[in-house]
Amino acid sequence: MRILVIEDETKVGCFIKRALEEESYAVDLCEDGAKGLEMALATNYDTIVVDLMLPSMSGLDIVKGIRRERIQVPILILTAQSQVDQRVKGLDAGADDYLTKPFAIDELLARIRALLRRGATDSPGVLQIDDLVLNPATREVTRGGQRIDLTLKEYALLEYLMRHSGRVLTRPMISEHVWNQDFDTFTNVIDVYVNYLRNKIDRGRTKKLIHTIRGSGYMLKAD
Amino acid sequence: MPLRLRLTLWYGSALALILIAFSTVLYFVTARSLRDALDQSLEETAAAAVRSLEERGFLPLIDEDELMSQFPELARIDKFFQIFSPSGTITIRSPNVKQHELPLSRRALEVAFSGQTIFESAKYPKEPPLRLISVPIIYRGNLLYIVQVGTSMESVDQTLNRLLLVLLVTMPLALAVSLAGGWFLAGRALRPVDAITLAAQRIAAGDLTQRLNVAASPDEIGRLADTFNNMIARLEISFRQIRQFSSDASHELRTPLTVMKGETELALRRPREAGDYTVVLESNLEEIDRMTRIVDELLFLSRADMGEVKMEHLPVKLEALLEDIHRQASLLDQEREIQVVLGLVTPATVLGDELRLRELFLNLVDNAVKYSRPGGSVNITLATESGQAKISVADHGIGISTGDQTKIFDRFYRTDDARAHTKKGTGLGLAICAWIAESHHGRIDVQSEVGKGSVFTVTLPLAPNSP
Repeated sequence: MRILVIEDETKVGCFIKRALEEESYAVDLCEDGAKGLEMALATNYDTIVVDLMLPSMSGLDIVKGIRRERIQVPILILTAQSQVDQRVKGLDAGADDYLTKPFAIDELLARIRALLRRGATDSPGVLQIDDLVLNPATREVTRGGQRIDLTLKEYALLEYLMRHSGRVLTRPMISEHVWNQDFDTFTNVIDVYVNYLRNKIDRGRTKKLIHTIRGSGYMLKAD
Repeated sequence: MPLRLRLTLWYGSALALILIAFSTVLYFVTARSLRDALDQSLEETAAAAVRSLEERGFLPLIDEDELMSQFPELARIDKFFQIFSPSGTITIRSPNVKQHELPLSRRALEVAFSGQTIFESAKYPKEPPLRLISVPIIYRGNLLYIVQVGTSMESVDQTLNRLLLVLLVTMPLALAVSLAGGWFLAGRALRPVDAITLAAQRIAAGDLTQRLNVAASPDEIGRLADTFNNMIARLEISFRQIRQFSSDASHELRTPLTVMKGETELALRRPREAGDYTVVLESNLEEIDRMTRIVDELLFLSRADMGEVKMEHLPVKLEALLEDIHRQASLLDQEREIQVVLGLVTPATVLGDELRLRELFLNLVDNAVKYSRPGGSVNITLATESGQAKISVADHGIGISTGDQTKIFDRFYRTDDARAHTKKGTGLGLAICAWIAESHHGRIDVQSEVGKGSVFTVTLPLAPNSP
């Protein structure tokens, strides 16, 4: 899951980025409003976290700009203002949720999980494909009731595959949602991580879940 | 008691007093003049009777008919006459003295003996009151006759009664009519006051955008409404400023709180290495310093607003002060190689607080350095012009847009560039500078062009006896 954070207070942006990265999200941080909107329109983010007070362009205008392009990405606004009308304006402009500064990190993460869940309306809090179960809240993965330990990146890759199970996911799609903008797309890192996942999930089991679609990419499906 | 009722009552009582006084005077003056007229006609008639007696040589036996024919004025039916002998017995009397005996009163007889005329009133049951005049006729020291002429006072009394009736009826009527008119007029005059009260109540309920909608007339009410509206406008402005100020203050304080809370929570989520904790603690310390600075500056400004900041009032040599600041400023930003230049300086002395002035100029120079490009220069100059010292701090930095120029002295206002440029600013520095300049009876102006740089000019009045 790739998240864009637009926040001009460097320190605030940095700790949000770190907190999200520790939860295995791929995070891009931007300190300027206009540049943030540009990034939001150029890349297919899974969630955008935006501060309302920004240089060059307000958070409100960024939200409007994103919605004008009919991009349905979930948006969480951060606001230092406790005034109701600011929040109302943000929500009316098309934001999905808000958080008032100072906020608890746990709450920020929970709200982002909720927003990601909302992206696919029928998906419950826990993702399940066949006997493979992933709980985004606890980041616990089990197969047939057996716990599987994953690294941050492996977990991020698996979550992305599970959220889009039954669909062919190309390498560019995977890199866009699992890695951040610093990722070099010309390496075989994706293939390496898919292999790591295969080893932990499919190895020694009769039913394989991760499939290679030759010439296109990968797919996670039950049969 | 409502003002309308009170006004009407005051007005009514005053009018009632005037009406009563007027009626009383009118009644008594009328009564007096009617009686005087009656007495005068009695006197004339009596004089005619006396004259006729004199012409007859006071003969005791005067033929009544003859008397009447010769003095027709005696024959008037509204008067009668009697002539008494000095013993008080009637000698002759006019035929219209009918059934009554009208003896001469004892007092009239006594007065007659002393040779004087007397007027008397007499009243008989079931008869209108009478007015009588008794005139003695004295010949060679002897009282010969007493001529008495009388008339009924009926018409006088009737006239007076009618007058009294008219007064008793019309006065309360007039009072009632004018009370009603007064009530109406007072109501009309006070209606705008009611309107003002209602509007003021709405405004007091918290809606400061309301204004009194009273027709703009140049009278007392119009002026009151105008005064009210001006007051509300000022209140609205200062309320908005306070709201803006507290919202800005809370925003500025929330940011360091967010950083501290976020970084600390993040650090505590899992075990970290010792170095990570140090980084968080150092960062938090920075934020604590920032909050301390904001709180200190806020406190200074609020004390300044309440007039609690003590200001010295001593001669300050600006040229020496600026040299000092120049020395200090040269150390400000050495790594970006910004040159602070002390340009043309005319010696000038102002009256004021050296510490505050130092803060003012240091702040301006510090800002100029902050917004200069690496390798740029900041120029400080001092000139005197028509009793004023002009201190300019010029940079060739990023400049300030025209829209921002009016706002940079507002509390907590920071341009986007300023936010991006320095994370440490509080947004209060220039507000404090402006306050210091103003409390020295001076001002700060800014001229700036985006991309080319800014010039801040402080104008201070020179000390009275300085060259």
